[in-house]
Amino acid sequence: MSHARLSRWLLAIPMSLLALATLYPLLFTVNVAMKTRRDYVLDRFSLTDALRWENISTAWGSVGLGRYFANSLVAVTSSVLLLLLLGSMAGFALSQLRFRGSSALFVACLAGLFVPFQVIMVPLARIMADSRLIDTYPGLILVYVAQFLPFTVFLMTSYYKTIPGEIVDAARIDGNSVYGVYRRIMLPLGTPALLSVGILDALFCWNDVLMSLVMMPSADHRTLMVGVTALKGQYADDIPTFASGVLIAAVPVLVAYLFLQRQIADGVAAGATKG
Amino acid sequence: MPTGNAPPSVRPMTTGRTDGARVVRPGGAGARRGRAGPRAERFAPYLLLAPAALVIVVLRLYPLLLGVNFSFTGDGERNGVAVGLDNYLELLRDPLFRTALSNVGLLVLLLPVAVAIPGLLATFIYLRVPGHRLYRSVYFFPGVLSPVIVGAIFNLLLAFDGPFNALLGAVGIDAVDWLGDPGVAMFVVVGVHVWATFGMALVVFLAGFATLDAGLLDAARVDGASLLQVIRHVIVPGLARTIQFVAVTTMIGMLTSMFGLLYVMTSGGPEGSTYLPEYYIWIQQGQMNRPALASAASTVLFLVMLGVGLLQIKLLRRAGRED
Repeated sequence: MSHARLSRWLLAIPMSLLALATLYPLLFTVNVAMKTRRDYVLDRFSLTDALRWENISTAWGSVGLGRYFANSLVAVTSSVLLLLLLGSMAGFALSQLRFRGSSALFVACLAGLFVPFQVIMVPLARIMADSRLIDTYPGLILVYVAQFLPFTVFLMTSYYKTIPGEIVDAARIDGNSVYGVYRRIMLPLGTPALLSVGILDALFCWNDVLMSLVMMPSADHRTLMVGVTALKGQYADDIPTFASGVLIAAVPVLVAYLFLQRQIADGVAAGATKG
Repeated sequence: MPTGNAPPSVRPMTTGRTDGARVVRPGGAGARRGRAGPRAERFAPYLLLAPAALVIVVLRLYPLLLGVNFSFTGDGERNGVAVGLDNYLELLRDPLFRTALSNVGLLVLLLPVAVAIPGLLATFIYLRVPGHRLYRSVYFFPGVLSPVIVGAIFNLLLAFDGPFNALLGAVGIDAVDWLGDPGVAMFVVVGVHVWATFGMALVVFLAGFATLDAGLLDAARVDGASLLQVIRHVIVPGLARTIQFVAVTTMIGMLTSMFGLLYVMTSGGPEGSTYLPEYYIWIQQGQMNRPALASAASTVLFLVMLGVGLLQIKLLRRAGRED
């Protein structure tokens, strides 16, 4: 038994090293963001001697990161709200109601899971251009919704399947219409699932770069992640400001992770175990 | 939230399947013609489903057909003209696309490693290595960062005059041009991708472990089985489905979510050595104004993904049968 315990402690060594390798790049970036240019050139590893927030404000102001931040907020919030609305409506219908063609519609929704954006990038950009939605927020939001809706519908359907049909039946006997059941019963009961799917959808939209790059060509309409890529050219020789810009883009997600770690991990696991 | 624990129900759960003509659910049918008329009620499921179905069909499934169709037409002056397989022949001749395809081959070869790392780590965590809770949340965290941010951070770390080379220099190893050497860059980008995503796969593995029969593990341990034997005879067969799922999603992830890294870290270079199909599609569509050629590349990517998915499922089934 002590042999087994010893080998477990031995395993802890590579695992801690790996944990360090996981955290170090971010810690390094935080440290660099607080340094002066001179400090960084002289010694890349030394701890910064002061917290220089001016690097952050330079990055925030100069390439328009502030504006891109707002763009991302608008696109992500609207997309997530729409995703939750459409996803819960469809999930309710697919899990609790019987109707002709429901299995075919379920399969059609799921088929969307297997069509990555890269595969339909060209025709989708054309459809958006033809309907004058390219380079507009409604266009980008629609593309985000279309991208993450199959996943959202899938998770909402699996969640609503765990709600006993008797609850729906009872509400109907009380005189609720189908829509009333959705609004008064299914939406409130679905809160845990809506929360965890919503967090994941928000994360996916916030982190996207390719869709935004294709759908929002003009510079003012950039989302934050596309904006961050512009920093590279701008601050090639001013690494502390570059690192500050990277941090600005990372902070919302890091804060979300600190508080919502369990929901995020559970959501990822739920997507897997329900397959 | 596993599927298995649905609360028991007297009425058969409606699972999205339908038995045809029955529109109204059995049981208490008379009571449900509440406020809305029966007609409105009959259409209610369709109205609830319509927005989602419409978005998915119009903006996901239809473009797939449109793209395939588009790949058989020409670009520029031959816009809209049927050109048969010309685009596909051009792809085959294009050294950049050939590199992209051989890089896909490399990804397939590296896949077992990308699956084994999180699998092993999940095993250790499951076996309660000291500090296992902490490891889980630390490992998972890069997975929530955008590839753009991960790429930018590693641009700093891996620059030729950057800290990583400085560290190597301190122990007497010559500096390597991590992102500038065509023989090295692709491995570096894949490595960074694995660094960023292994925590996601780890969480999926841990969810799989939760379904594993703990009694079996205890029995193996009482019989004095070594760690390797436990992995080989208890964990791998018990987790066959999870391994299959992780393998497929990891492969799909490598084929469709490395764009951000490529865009930020290498821009496909040096000498086009880090092209992947998704990057090629973006370049042809956005930069070279060759949408039809890009559509052909998209179709090839779709077929590759389909093939990889089917192949892996087949291989794993066979492996499962031999065990």
